[in-house]
Amino acid sequence: MSNWERLVWNQRGVLLQGLAVTVEVCLIAFAVAIVGGLTLCLVRMYVRPLRPVAIALIEFFRATPIYVQLMWITYVWPELFGWPQSYFTAGWLGLGLQSSGYLAETFRAGIEGVARGHREAGYALGMSPLLVFRRIVMPQTLLTVAPSIVNQFTVIVKSSTLVSVITVQDLMFQAMKLVNVWYEPIEILTVTAAIYILFVFLLSTAGKLLADRMRRRYGLAAA
Amino acid sequence: MSDAFWQSVDLSLFWEYRQVLLAGLLFNVYVFACSAATALAVGLAAALLRVSRAWPFRWIGTVHVEVFRNAPDYIMIVWVHFVLPLLLGLLIGRRLEFHPFVSAVIALGFVYSGYFAETFRAGIQAVPLGHIEAARACGMAERLILRRVILPQVVRRMLPEAVNQFVSLFKATTIVSLIAVPDLMYNVSMVTAQEMRPLPLYTGAALTYFGVIWLAATGVRLLSERWRNKIYA
Repeated sequence: MSNWERLVWNQRGVLLQGLAVTVEVCLIAFAVAIVGGLTLCLVRMYVRPLRPVAIALIEFFRATPIYVQLMWITYVWPELFGWPQSYFTAGWLGLGLQSSGYLAETFRAGIEGVARGHREAGYALGMSPLLVFRRIVMPQTLLTVAPSIVNQFTVIVKSSTLVSVITVQDLMFQAMKLVNVWYEPIEILTVTAAIYILFVFLLSTAGKLLADRMRRRYGLAAA
Repeated sequence: MSDAFWQSVDLSLFWEYRQVLLAGLLFNVYVFACSAATALAVGLAAALLRVSRAWPFRWIGTVHVEVFRNAPDYIMIVWVHFVLPLLLGLLIGRRLEFHPFVSAVIALGFVYSGYFAETFRAGIQAVPLGHIEAARACGMAERLILRRVILPQVVRRMLPEAVNQFVSLFKATTIVSLIAVPDLMYNVSMVTAQEMRPLPLYTGAALTYFGVIWLAATGVRLLSERWRNKIYA
């Protein structure tokens, strides 16, 4: 029991600091993913000339492993574009871009799922295409895709363990550092794994509840 | 900027090391095959536990699924590699160490067994009760019902989702390089450390993985759709 106290409880400050960095990276990446995903999706669906570009980006982000993408962004982008300059930026950028590819497809499925008649009814009332999109298409889309978006956030949290590899000081990084100091991995790694599992479990349970509620309240079939 | 750009387009360095890198890619496939087999076997077992009539079995199955579905791959790999041998060693009273490859297969196999278990379960529960009752009425044993009536339907139904999971499993095999399994990413970082030119190497690795995964995913999806259509039609 003293091992647990010495290795985990006495190090709680460091571990909590790491957890805070994890949450920070995930939240920024999530915001990037939503904005990026929506942009990619809209470009793909409505901007004809840029469509191949958007499709290529979506497919690239989706079909490249997150670890490879992180390494690529961290070590190649600074030389190629002179940005990002810090590992932290590279971390959330990699996580965000990967998820933006997935979210773009989720949004597209949501938008295509809106019944045609709703849009036509909007036009028949003399609404402009932009207004139809904002008032009729978007609200329904957001409702149907909300659970998938929450799920994507759990994917981001799971992948965020990998930013420790590019020395972002998240929970995983701090845990590995403690392991390397003490050479006693049992307690530290078990607790770290438990924290991650619990964190993701709570998020995915929230996603499931959200999906159930959507289905009951709006009669929507959530993906 | 344009200089760096042309340097990244010029993948000759990547080509120069093609033998090492190809061997790495094959190792990825090897890890993938072994952990996919593990994941399918363990996943099927967990799914059968989850639909079992006895509640302790159901409970074990549920815990298994919830733990492994919500665990990040990386921490599981690290845990299996560094903690599991120590725990097992304490149990049998001897020092124990896993080969990185073994740790990778166990970790990935178990993490993905959580996803496969849910897919299997959904498939099993979608089999109409009438089919099972009919089989029972014909005097088939429970084992035979599972093999002849339930599983064939399950496999057909779970195919599209299983394809997605196989794709993510293959993507996850890239992180086994972090515990020194000599896969493509590992060899890339080794060569990078030698040549000090990350640009062509990482770009080449990213493009290679993209090509392999995209082709495999698209191909398998097309094939499985055709197969399903043929059977349903």
